[in-house]
Amino acid sequence: MMLLFGTLPDKNFPMTYGQVRPEGDYLFADGQRFSRTQGTGAMISAALAITNYFKLDAPYVLVAGDIGDGKGTRDIYKYLTEHVVELAPEVLTMHYSLPIMALLKKLCETIKGCTTRPFMIADAGAMYAVKGAGLASEFDIFTPDPSEIAFLADPQATHPAYISHYLFACDADKIPGQIEDAFKNKSAAKLLLVKGKTDYVATDGHILATITEPNVPTLEPIGGTGDTITGLVSGLVYAGLEPKDAAIFACRTNRTAGMLAQPTPATKVKEIIDQFPIVAKQNYCSWSGVCYNDACK
Amino acid sequence: MEAAKQNKVKFVGDGIIIFHDVAGAMKGDRTVRAAGYDTKLVAPPPELRMGCDLALEVNLVEQAGIERLFKEKDVPFVRFLPLTKNASQMCDIVKVTDFGKWVMVKAGNMKLSFEKGSGVIVNISGGGCPDIPYLNAEMVDKPLALAPHPNELGYTLCATMLQRAYEEALNIFNGGSRP
Repeated sequence: MMLLFGTLPDKNFPMTYGQVRPEGDYLFADGQRFSRTQGTGAMISAALAITNYFKLDAPYVLVAGDIGDGKGTRDIYKYLTEHVVELAPEVLTMHYSLPIMALLKKLCETIKGCTTRPFMIADAGAMYAVKGAGLASEFDIFTPDPSEIAFLADPQATHPAYISHYLFACDADKIPGQIEDAFKNKSAAKLLLVKGKTDYVATDGHILATITEPNVPTLEPIGGTGDTITGLVSGLVYAGLEPKDAAIFACRTNRTAGMLAQPTPATKVKEIIDQFPIVAKQNYCSWSGVCYNDACK
Repeated sequence: MEAAKQNKVKFVGDGIIIFHDVAGAMKGDRTVRAAGYDTKLVAPPPELRMGCDLALEVNLVEQAGIERLFKEKDVPFVRFLPLTKNASQMCDIVKVTDFGKWVMVKAGNMKLSFEKGSGVIVNISGGGCPDIPYLNAEMVDKPLALAPHPNELGYTLCATMLQRAYEEALNIFNGGSRP
């Protein structure tokens, strides 16, 4: 099974573990309802679109309310550390959470006891904790944005708010060098998917692919459009795609959905998410050369 | 269209205050600023960092007064330390992108977009700490002037950067100069 881990922006939301299902603008797990339009919710919705398309079992989620004080973060780390061996996720994606290195280290130590190591993906606060804890090489995919790749490239930084100025310039042409530095510093997962004006897919310091089309500049201001890439690549890895192909598909899916939604800076991410099933149905067979749905036959 | 600027005023202190957590540092920052002290938020020295950490750079000569102030205002802190070369500064670059009817302001890793005519915040993007989706829910679809301030509701460095983006957006909406 695929397990998606992260916090929700509601301090009263209880820690919840269960298989997720969509209903309108909401997601449900273990009887609890939460929004699909924010952070972790957007990531989960994107992964769900992929598992639906491939007719796979829906993701399991481990979520808790946290508005920044770290309470929900601590709860889900504690639960996962205590149960990850028995849950035995095939894919584990860690997302919004307070970057608490000690909790992350303890979890990673416990994961060593899993019979089969999960395929591990991190983004957002979880990725900050992984980098700060020096455990990046134990993860399979990171999905940083341009400021986050500058953070990964800076050996001193423990949060993207603190980046050496020469790195923070965020010039697009600096990103390849920052990717190289992140691998040199051992601050990169095995594969980096850098999401931005140009998306980069890289391993071992080498860029394997760049994705630039369709170019939809108005996706940048829309909160959650990076979170959806993390959910997409999680779902695609769970569906059996090679990590590199999953990363490329995720970028192309997000961009194509953006194009179909014809967004403005005021568009909400749910309008992009709603396009994912259409993008998958229209393109996945031709992109891969493998027919995934009956409609093509 | 994109432009960038750095804060012009550069305070350089010789001491640092370590707090138990980011929320404490942000409260400490508000408290000493309100009392008229010079200060800036910085990263703690690496050996004292735990993750999403924040410290205050101050003039050490003002330690006693600040300590007294913290006691009066109930601001818990860990200790004062002389500033070391390892205390790196927070990102202070602000970028503005014009999307015609909308403007996007980026401060550090955070982006805030608003409608030029109404000043309504239409999106918040970037960041990875848990208070950002919460701030998104509290701020989006509200006019800049009426939206809650990130430094009042937030706890983390991402919220601190969003506060900077918010202040710049409000400045632009009120007719201030653009970077």
